Amino acid sequence: MSKSDWNSPEAVRRLAKRHAAEKRFKFIGLAAIVLSLGFLALLLVIMLKNGLGGLDWDFLSGSDSTDASTAGVWGAAKGSLLTMLVTLLLSFPMGVLAAIYLEEFAPKKKWIEWVEVSINNLAAVPSIIFGLLGLAVFINTFQMPRSSPLVGGLTLALMTMPVIVISGRNAIKAVPPSIREAAYGIGASKVQTTFHHVLPLALPGILTGTIIGMARALGETAPLLMIGMRAFVVTPPDSLTAPSSVLPMQIFLWSDEIDKAFVQNTSAAIIVLLVFLLAMNGIAIYLRNKFEVRW
Amino acid sequence: MTEANITSAKIAARNVDVFYGQKKAINDVSIDIDNGIVTAFIGPSGCGKSTFLRTLNRMNDTIAGARVDGQILLDGEDIYAPSMDSVALRARVGMVFQKPNPFPKSIYENIAYGPRIHGLASAKSDMDRIVENALTKAGLWEEVKDRLNDAGTALSGGQQQRLCIARAIAVSPEVILMDEPCSALDPIATARIEELIDELKESFAIVIVTHSMQQAARVSQRTAFFHLGSMVEYGETDQIFTNPRETRTKDYITGRYG
Repeated sequence: MSKSDWNSPEAVRRLAKRHAAEKRFKFIGLAAIVLSLGFLALLLVIMLKNGLGGLDWDFLSGSDSTDASTAGVWGAAKGSLLTMLVTLLLSFPMGVLAAIYLEEFAPKKKWIEWVEVSINNLAAVPSIIFGLLGLAVFINTFQMPRSSPLVGGLTLALMTMPVIVISGRNAIKAVPPSIREAAYGIGASKVQTTFHHVLPLALPGILTGTIIGMARALGETAPLLMIGMRAFVVTPPDSLTAPSSVLPMQIFLWSDEIDKAFVQNTSAAIIVLLVFLLAMNGIAIYLRNKFEVRW
Repeated sequence: MTEANITSAKIAARNVDVFYGQKKAINDVSIDIDNGIVTAFIGPSGCGKSTFLRTLNRMNDTIAGARVDGQILLDGEDIYAPSMDSVALRARVGMVFQKPNPFPKSIYENIAYGPRIHGLASAKSDMDRIVENALTKAGLWEEVKDRLNDAGTALSGGQQQRLCIARAIAVSPEVILMDEPCSALDPIATARIEELIDELKESFAIVIVTHSMQQAARVSQRTAFFHLGSMVEYGETDQIFTNPRETRTKDYITGRYG
């Protein structure tokens, strides 16, 4: 093929086609982003317009009430915090230990494969089923107090753990085998190799997965319906066993009110929830950057 | 006691077979490895020389389905005996890998980790001495003494490999296994490692697996030639390269295959 072939009409047409394809892809990709971000922006604008007026100290420090003007979000927010605390304390260590065991220690046996399949399935189970499980196990069998952050946290921990296990395993798998060999090579035991070398390198990935799981749990409503966290609670919970609501549930309850005045409350509560979620994602990014090891 | 136990060799392997699952990777290898010299394993890719090397410090234990038959004696002690702790063994038989693999930590920490987990230093000053000593022996001290807190991974490839050698030296092993330690390095870095190996043989028994016959000829005093999972010939390096007894060895070193 001679050099001038690139200037033949045939070649020019082919090149033009390739450039057009590239332009087309860039446009479609950009459109996809604009469309999704557009809806998010629209949501934010509507919420801010409706809710910003209701965001004052009384709203942030008050609890639920039948009167829209005195109703506040603190009771539900505190309920959410307590519930998340239980969820985190349970699902994080359990999830990380399970991930380490499955990835580093488990024998390659048939039953381990079953465990793996089960955990993957667990992550895909609809959340309302976890609510039923929580109701049957924690409340009916173990007689724990209904509507409490304790039961809510336990139920959400069941839901969050598989997410942490899956992201944790991926993070552990991504640690190069050469690091393990290096540690074994100077006489580190398996536990030392795992906890001194593999886990620190996998931590950013594990933390990211954990916070994504926690953020999902924070926005979860359905399973909490089943364990009675939709009760009308006028005082913030003062313990893990006190009756309580959570933020998304409060939003759901207010959006159900007939009184028009609750529209503002609903929007304001959504803003509070979004701030919570943004803060959690911010923490996730901060932690990832802090623990990230550069090679 | 079998006759195998009456030997002055540092490491004595007797009728060693290695299996990966059903596949036999090493077939009936017996070899004596002595102190104070460098022993080279050569052979074409897939001949089992690395596999055999990794049986000498039970590195194959970490691979699922790997199994070793026969006897490997370190100072007359069977390293596959139930009483032998593989962790303690690897502190006595150190290893340097094909690709430099420093921990993503500081240079100091890379060296100090081994001595720390084995409790070799009781005070910070002891540890400082161990680190300096290991880096000096690995010929790296002058280059890094002012930046011990920099990341080990920020060093050049050749420096990283010397750091890995220093890390192995720091736990005072008796034997150092090297699995193609120069295959990822340029010729200048390779020459430095080879000089280093020559110095280190005074203090440690060194076993090196290499793809390069020139390297084996340069650094080793004894050479074992592996082919298809068997050890074809083992002898003085000079003899192997100038006057091989086996046709297969001769064909390999003259470039007939490989």
